[in-house]
Amino acid sequence: MNEKLKINFWRLAILVVGVGAWEWLTGIKAVSKIPGLYFIDPFFISRPSKIVERFFYLNSDKVRLTLWQMLLSTVESTFIGFFVGVSTGFVAGLVLGRNDRLARIFEPYIIAFNSLPRIALVPLVTMIFGFGLLAKVVLAWMIVFFIVFFNTFQGARSVDPDLIHSARFLGAREGQIMRTVIIPSALAWTFASLTPSISFALIGVVIGEFIGGESGGGIGYLIISSLGTLNSADMMVSLIVLAITGIVMALGIKQVEMRLLRWRPEYQPKG
Amino acid sequence: MSRLRIQIGDLSKTFREGGREVPAVSRVSLDILDKEFVALVGPSGCGKSTILNMIGGLIAPSDGQVLIDGSAVRDVPRQVGYVFQKDTVFPWRTVTRNIALGLEYRGVAGPEQERRVAEAIRLAGLSGFEEAFPATLSGGMRQRVALMRTLIVEPEILLMDEPFGALDTHTKLGLHAELLALWEAKHQTVVFVTHDLSEAITLADRIVVLTRRPGKIKLIHEVKLPRPRDVIKLRETDEYAQEYSQIWRVLGEEFAPPEGGSAPLPAPPPGLARAKPALEQGGSADTGHAV
Ligand SMILES: Nc1ncnc2c1ncn2[C@@H]1O[C@H](COP(=O)(O)OP(=O)(O)OP(=O)(O)O)[C@@H](O)[C@H]1O
Ligand SMILES: [Mg+2]
Repeated sequence: MNEKLKINFWRLAILVVGVGAWEWLTGIKAVSKIPGLYFIDPFFISRPSKIVERFFYLNSDKVRLTLWQMLLSTVESTFIGFFVGVSTGFVAGLVLGRNDRLARIFEPYIIAFNSLPRIALVPLVTMIFGFGLLAKVVLAWMIVFFIVFFNTFQGARSVDPDLIHSARFLGAREGQIMRTVIIPSALAWTFASLTPSISFALIGVVIGEFIGGESGGGIGYLIISSLGTLNSADMMVSLIVLAITGIVMALGIKQVEMRLLRWRPEYQPKG
Repeated sequence: MSRLRIQIGDLSKTFREGGREVPAVSRVSLDILDKEFVALVGPSGCGKSTILNMIGGLIAPSDGQVLIDGSAVRDVPRQVGYVFQKDTVFPWRTVTRNIALGLEYRGVAGPEQERRVAEAIRLAGLSGFEEAFPATLSGGMRQRVALMRTLIVEPEILLMDEPFGALDTHTKLGLHAELLALWEAKHQTVVFVTHDLSEAITLADRIVVLTRRPGKIKLIHEVKLPRPRDVIKLRETDEYAQEYSQIWRVLGEEFAPPEGGSAPLPAPPPGLARAKPALEQGGSADTGHAV
């Protein structure tokens, strides 16, 4: 058996044993005579069979908003927040990164705002932007903006002056230097921040959905309403769906990043 | 005799760093003729790069001046090409796109650009690597890209700062032959900085020996080896050996430790690093206090 197969075998084995133990342990009674007293109570952590059942139920037309619709709402807000955050963060980072005076002026405000835990702003953002899509997007944006801003800022400042000089000797004018030296150098840093950004955008959106209520929708809303009905199966469904979504989005962005940074030594094909 | 191309008059440079003054270049005067190949040699940190940067208009002199074709250098002069000591090939551009840079900046596009870039790639022996990114090239190949990228815009004056400093001897010799062949064809005026004496003798018409920091001119030596030169055979000739020992007698003193003291301290790395404000955070993909 080759190494890769071995690793995948063990991964699968852990999954099967884990899920099997979960199903089995939550099915046996601790004291056989007393009803409802389980060895491990499925009330809190549910059971795999129940979760699968609820998964299909939540996707059926018996519910007002299907799981699929909730997921779409979450993904949509995440991507909007991500794109707005990346583009505004990039522009701000580039402008402040290339302008010492502006950077010095804005420095205390940026540090102050960035030191504030974003969660503390959730009620205020909800108050201003309401309970819908906008509040979720704004929350994701606030997180992504700073990640991208700091990276681009650093990238724009660390442009090798000798690259700028060599462009100048080749006849470049200011605009051409910006386009062919500064932006590509800074973008390398920006791209490296895309993968963490998408993950943090998802966090922002889910937090927004916790507060946003039904009009905001989304997986975060499903989690919070499951808490209201003490339904651990629905909560588990949401968490699993959320985990898969997070992985898929991060891997997708990683692919984009590798494509955009294919000139970097660490992304060169080996051998 | 050819006309004067570069006039360096009483050129001095003192760097000021946090109240400390570092004299780097002291009263250097030198006239360089059109089509001449001049080498600057001297120990590390003696101000060679600083002199070249003043000729190229990257650093303003503290005193004295540089005239190119009779007018004082202020900004980067149009007719000058510069090959840096450091690797300055753009890592995000392929070989082709790197070599095309100068043409792109000058608005030379389309088939004309393609033709000239293809020609340059052939001359540099980089065929087959047109679409390669610099990260996949060897140091010698990257230096060839840097050289061709500079030559493609046909500068009349070429400033080269230890362009082959980081390469092994054999690669170096190959590039010397290529550089001489290219130079025989176009006869640019070249100022070539090196601390490798054999490199200077192989390439140059005149060798300027500088003292330890602050760099002053110690000797100007005319190399009387005939051209065109064969970079390999040249080294076996008596004339070469003679040139070498003549210059080394003077240059060697600069490498010896100063009297009554130890060897000179290594110079701090040059560069135009700006002060970093607190906004800068370490590492890439820093998420700060994200949530
Ligand atoms: N920007 C700068 N600020 C302060 N000091 C500098 C600066 N640039 C160079 N120096 C100092 O000036 C001196 C000459 O530097 P320079 O780079 O010209 O040396 P060099 O002869 O090119 O050396 P090497 O052969 O190692 O490249 C050095 O002592 C260096 O510390
Ligand atoms: Mg130097």
